[in-house]
Amino acid sequence: MKRKLITLLAAVTALALLAGCGKTENAQTNASSPKQELVYATVKDINDMNPHLYPGSMPAQGMVYESLVENTPEGIKPLLAESWDISADGTVYTFHLRQGVTFHDGEPFNAEAVKQNIDAVQHNAVKHSWIKLSAKITDTKVLDEYTFELKLSEPYYPAMLELSMTRPYVFLSPKDFVNGETKDGVQGYNGTGPYRLTEHQTDQYAVFEANNEYWNGAPELKKITAKVLPTGETTFLALQKGEVNFVFTDDRGTDSIDTEAMDRLIESGDYQVVRSEAMNTKMIVANSSKTDSPAHDRAVREAVWHAIDRESIASQIFNGKETPAETLFSANVNYADIGLKARAYDLQEAARLLDGAGWAASSGGTRTKDGKALSMELFYDAASLSQKTQAELIQNTVKGIGMELRLIGEDSSSIANRRAAGNYDLLFNQTWGLAYDPQSTVSAFTSESSYYHATSGIAQAEELFGKISSVMVATEEDQRKSLYRDILTIVHDEAIFIPITNGNLTVVAPSGLQGIGFKQTQFELPFEKMRFE
Amino acid sequence: MGRFILKRTLLAVPLLIIISFLTFGLNHLSPMDPAEVVLRAQGVPQVTEALLAETKAALGMDRPFLIRYFTWLASCFRLDFGESYITGTPVWALLGPAFMNTLKLTMVSVIAILAFSVGLGILCALREGRLLDRSIRGVSFFLTSMPSAWLAALMIWFFSVKLDLLPTSGLDSYASYILPVIVLTVSYAGIYFRLVRSAMLSQLHEDYTLYARACGLQERKITLRMLKNSMQVATSVFCMAVPIILGSTVVVESIFAWPGLGSLTVNSILGRDFPVIQAYVLVLAVSFVLFNTLSDLINAALDPKLRKEF
Repeated sequence: MKRKLITLLAAVTALALLAGCGKTENAQTNASSPKQELVYATVKDINDMNPHLYPGSMPAQGMVYESLVENTPEGIKPLLAESWDISADGTVYTFHLRQGVTFHDGEPFNAEAVKQNIDAVQHNAVKHSWIKLSAKITDTKVLDEYTFELKLSEPYYPAMLELSMTRPYVFLSPKDFVNGETKDGVQGYNGTGPYRLTEHQTDQYAVFEANNEYWNGAPELKKITAKVLPTGETTFLALQKGEVNFVFTDDRGTDSIDTEAMDRLIESGDYQVVRSEAMNTKMIVANSSKTDSPAHDRAVREAVWHAIDRESIASQIFNGKETPAETLFSANVNYADIGLKARAYDLQEAARLLDGAGWAASSGGTRTKDGKALSMELFYDAASLSQKTQAELIQNTVKGIGMELRLIGEDSSSIANRRAAGNYDLLFNQTWGLAYDPQSTVSAFTSESSYYHATSGIAQAEELFGKISSVMVATEEDQRKSLYRDILTIVHDEAIFIPITNGNLTVVAPSGLQGIGFKQTQFELPFEKMRFE
Repeated sequence: MGRFILKRTLLAVPLLIIISFLTFGLNHLSPMDPAEVVLRAQGVPQVTEALLAETKAALGMDRPFLIRYFTWLASCFRLDFGESYITGTPVWALLGPAFMNTLKLTMVSVIAILAFSVGLGILCALREGRLLDRSIRGVSFFLTSMPSAWLAALMIWFFSVKLDLLPTSGLDSYASYILPVIVLTVSYAGIYFRLVRSAMLSQLHEDYTLYARACGLQERKITLRMLKNSMQVATSVFCMAVPIILGSTVVVESIFAWPGLGSLTVNSILGRDFPVIQAYVLVLAVSFVLFNTLSDLINAALDPKLRKEF
């Protein structure tokens, strides 16, 4: 019997070794030709790549599709449009398109294709209501083969910014349209971008190959594979083995592997970590319009602001990966570098503000005012471990100044629901991100489905909303600067958006990879500029 | 026997109808408006009233609950489970390949689990109380009490990273099966082999065994007879092992990035993709009912007394 057991064990081991040998060969083949290839780990499948809808992976769409213009730190730059003219009244945009560009299927990129794409987006305008440009486009016209005209109902200064975004105003070969439309699905994913989608196995991987006909020169990295992997241990082990060699922060601002794992990869000498500048601001939103809530009182909002130890949150909860934020937008956001006064972590100042506003302290308990207790509910995303930890830290700190916070974890959709219905005192949120700020976040201050309840309870609400509508149609740069200064000062003084930290985009890449940079958005990376030394 | 099969199969029908009703009702347990769930699942950045109304009408969500249920049930018979909220692709197109991948993993694992359970069960029963029996039970106790996530990570680290023998994850070749199957086998064989062992032991002390031995019957023949009798007890447990493993591969699939039902469901739950979740629950429930019926039928075939009791 003993002999039989040994034989059985030997057979199993042999089987494992045999199967292993086959795989090793594969792994070696992959390892011997990686110099023009990246394999990145992604938690989610690339999904439906239709660029005029929203389920698709933005990093993947960013490789395949392009917009008319590009948003850069120096401002709007040409992309598929070489130049443009804007009429004196700011309502007619004439784009002079780049010539000789073709879609991946060989179809020519011209004014007709631009018109068909923008019309297809507009036919589904109700889905694109978040992008204000969709409500302002009144007409699209082909002037000649390479000249396209866009008419707006009124001047709208963020028009060029919104035309530069990853979606929806990007271009798909009209041959992929279904009955001239894209809103109910498309039959192919041919863009004009530096990479073509060549293979997709749902929930396994997607392969993007360099577009050798790319108008801006074929990219040096010839193949990029998006491999679906869970976050954490498996991704880290796959990086160690070399099965994947690139990871970056996902669309929720979460890294695929933790700081300790990143450090170990750097120590191995095979990897480097590159971080972008600040991309967004994580914050607590106070509901100023809920009159029966202490959050309606500016002094309470200011006290919460003073009671947050941002340094500790940044260094301990985020392990130094994020930086403390003092204002709603970081200084690198357009129009936001206006020197607003920081409110330091100062519990004495918080207590003084509450005393001054009539919130009477009781011995060791919760403060009260007119019989009402200084007690509020703080909603956090139950899926976010860091939000829960921050909430607990803040709850503990404010207890010391006689404020009670009840923490409620819910899923992100319920929190979005509460924000839209105004059914909250305080909740965690974050700004839209560099490319979208300040215009999209500021525009959301007036939107019922976004921050209207947060902003509408302050004394200067009417003035604030008036300035927001003015800034969106302002055609002069100085006028815009002045209006943004006023808008940001009002919400800062009223302490509606209580900043915590600035988040950034993190990339873990092979140490020999050069040209790693970032775009003005946390959702895409310029893979076409990367190359191995 | 024919009458028994018919009766037993018909009994499964009302059970399946109740399950389908509960499954469909899942969608309505969510406190959120289903149309909003759809839009959030699609990643639409801002949900407005106009968009909600349009989505509701497009998905027929404005019709009464029961009408929608019967429409859904009728389409389920044609294996049409609707379309994914997120991608708009037919659920079957997502569920089909994932189901096949999980089924392959399950079948290979069940074969390995059966082989190890029966083999080790017999071995331990025949060596009852000796060092071999005690060692195998000790090791199996240690292995089954290890969390499968931890065991899987350990296996990947050792076999994939250190020895560079196997892939860490995914489903690229036959080699991809080895680690997930080992983890599943370790988790379940440890439990099932005890069952075989105790069933064998109870047979060992039966009068017929003693009589057979006294008559000088070959030991191999006695063991085979004991095994056949033990299997009767274990049949229902082994039959249920298939749906149990089919439904509990979530952890293993997540860790090994196995493109199966487990990974699909986790992603669907996170994205609130209700049509996929409904179809998954339904498929799994149906497989439980089917295998339960199957185990009853096998047992009835083995033991005619059971047919009369019914």
